[in-house]
Amino acid sequence: MANIAAKRIKREIIEVVKGEEGVLKLELVNNAWTDLLGEIAGPPDTPYEGGLFKLEIKIPETYPFNPPKVRFITKVWHPNVSSVTGAICLDILKDQWAAALTLRTVLLSIQALLASAEPNDPQDAVVARQYIENEPLFELTARHWTNVYANGPTVVWEFNQKVQTLLEMGVDEHNARVALSTYNWDVEGATEQIFS
Amino acid sequence: MSADSDMEYSDNDGDEYDYYGEIDDCDMETVDQSKTDPEYFLFSCLRVEEVEKLLNESIELLSNNLQITPSLAKVILHAYEWNAQEIINRYKENANEVLIFSRVKPCVPTAPGTSTRTHCAVCANMPPLQSFSALTCGHSFCNDCWSMHFEVQIMQGVSNTIQCMAQECEVRAPEDFVLSHVTKPSLRERYQQFMFKDHVKSHPQLRFCPGPNCQWIFRAWVRQGPRRVECKGCELLTCFSCGAPHHAPTDCATIRLWLTKCADDSETVNYISANTKDCPKCQICIEKNGGCNHMQCGSCRHDFCWVCLGDWKCHGSEYYECSRYKEDPNLASDSQHAQAREALKKYLHYYERWENHARSLKLEEQTLASLKSRINQKVMAGEGTWIDWQYLWDSAKLLKRCRYTLQYTYPFAYYMDNGPRKELFEYQQAQLEAEIENLSWKVERAETTDRGDLENQMDIAEKRRTTLLKDFLDIHINNASSSKI
Repeated sequence: MANIAAKRIKREIIEVVKGEEGVLKLELVNNAWTDLLGEIAGPPDTPYEGGLFKLEIKIPETYPFNPPKVRFITKVWHPNVSSVTGAICLDILKDQWAAALTLRTVLLSIQALLASAEPNDPQDAVVARQYIENEPLFELTARHWTNVYANGPTVVWEFNQKVQTLLEMGVDEHNARVALSTYNWDVEGATEQIFS
Repeated sequence: MSADSDMEYSDNDGDEYDYYGEIDDCDMETVDQSKTDPEYFLFSCLRVEEVEKLLNESIELLSNNLQITPSLAKVILHAYEWNAQEIINRYKENANEVLIFSRVKPCVPTAPGTSTRTHCAVCANMPPLQSFSALTCGHSFCNDCWSMHFEVQIMQGVSNTIQCMAQECEVRAPEDFVLSHVTKPSLRERYQQFMFKDHVKSHPQLRFCPGPNCQWIFRAWVRQGPRRVECKGCELLTCFSCGAPHHAPTDCATIRLWLTKCADDSETVNYISANTKDCPKCQICIEKNGGCNHMQCGSCRHDFCWVCLGDWKCHGSEYYECSRYKEDPNLASDSQHAQAREALKKYLHYYERWENHARSLKLEEQTLASLKSRINQKVMAGEGTWIDWQYLWDSAKLLKRCRYTLQYTYPFAYYMDNGPRKELFEYQQAQLEAEIENLSWKVERAETTDRGDLENQMDIAEKRRTTLLKDFLDIHINNASSSKI
């Protein structure tokens, strides 16, 4: 079976390279055809615009009869992506997988997921709550994360300063950002949570 | 245990024993059971072969009527919960709709030419044309890929709902198509086992006995409210409606709530009640993590005694007296902690009794077993026959039945709203409990007590049980349907 997997992966890499989207990348991590690195560009007119997001792709031995395991390596602030592990909540990676689907369609679907979040079926409950309760703040936070982790263009000075405040207290940068994002950028709330 | 109990009853066969077991309630009168037994429920207990026959009848009926293969009939029956007559009627009205609903046909016809037959979209190979096959949707894939697909799905326990391999295609693969691609005998067998399980699960009249390794299947016609079914094989009592252990007078939704609550909370609750107390001054919950009983509250620094909760200052030399236990429990009872503790107390009250009766029930099993050997000894020693001692056996069986109902009254009471109905219920529950303890006492000393006395006690306990069920089981079902208006 691993035979089919290898053959498929070869074709799928060619398919992505040939593809005209210019927004996808797919490359091998080792020679075993089991670990791949994907990259997608943040879709335009979203808080992820201008960012490049790396994905870890693991091919099971039973591929393509079972879905690949995909997670974000680049940190993302999105209701359907875990801000801690990068795990993705997407139907085609679970029960809606079909053997005829390819990694190209998977990458495109993840890109589409970035453009249209589904907060009612969340992977990250904290992000989803912010999305529902305060969408402008969610967008700004997502933009800030895109800027910091995915080389996005929009710098949010206010947020950078708040992170800096916590850094001066000796808090790790990423932990500080997570705490601030979780507490809607309320420095007091975030500090309390970190030091409790 | 039924097998060896049949063995032990060499004097009279198993059926006769059942006959005696039934008759003791109604004392030689031929009474309609549906009137005397509030839990009476019509059901049958079937073997796998009988169920297979039953399912095959539906399959045959449908495939003959609609002129389709038995495999397709299975897919459709599964989708329509085995209501063959409804399928036939609907099929006459609109055959296409039935086929689409049961996913025999795709909802949107596949555009011709979308799947090229030069290479297989799954493995990217280019096998000869004749080694391609497709379901009704027309998505062609090579036979090797189909068999791999089926192997992976079967290994994951999927059977009836295996789908086409194309993207967003929900057409289901019928049995004959799957089997024509699966050659390994072990895999074929596994597939057919899963199919059968899936068929029973999707059939509203059937339910597997949940007993471990039990092969019996219940058949009944109503799936609402607490419905008692007893397994012929393992004697387990199950609720046909929900599959949980039989739970009258509690209804299905409540018992589910209760069982999850117990599964979630019992360990936490045990820990909290064993290891924590509220500070008598500020009511904060305190965990005792050392042996010393001189406690100092981490929050308000109050010094107190863990045993009596009194002020530590009064504990000098007279430590072991701890006589200050009768403290006013209403102190700051509106605080959140006190309320939480009160809720916990309430839960514990019911949970402990529930657990206690569950344990007693297990011990009752032992009584039953030892009783059987004692009766056997008597019979062997020539002190009467099994028929003479039958009443002892019946009394122990009856005790078990009563205690079972009593156990399930506790979740019922826990979720009941306060008021006269609850008072009535708890009154009846207390009466039942008292009679059961009396009976339990007499059963344990059965050989030395008077037979008449024991039978009288049996009668009282059973009357209490049926009265409680009559008052609360029936009304409860009516309530459940009318309270939602």
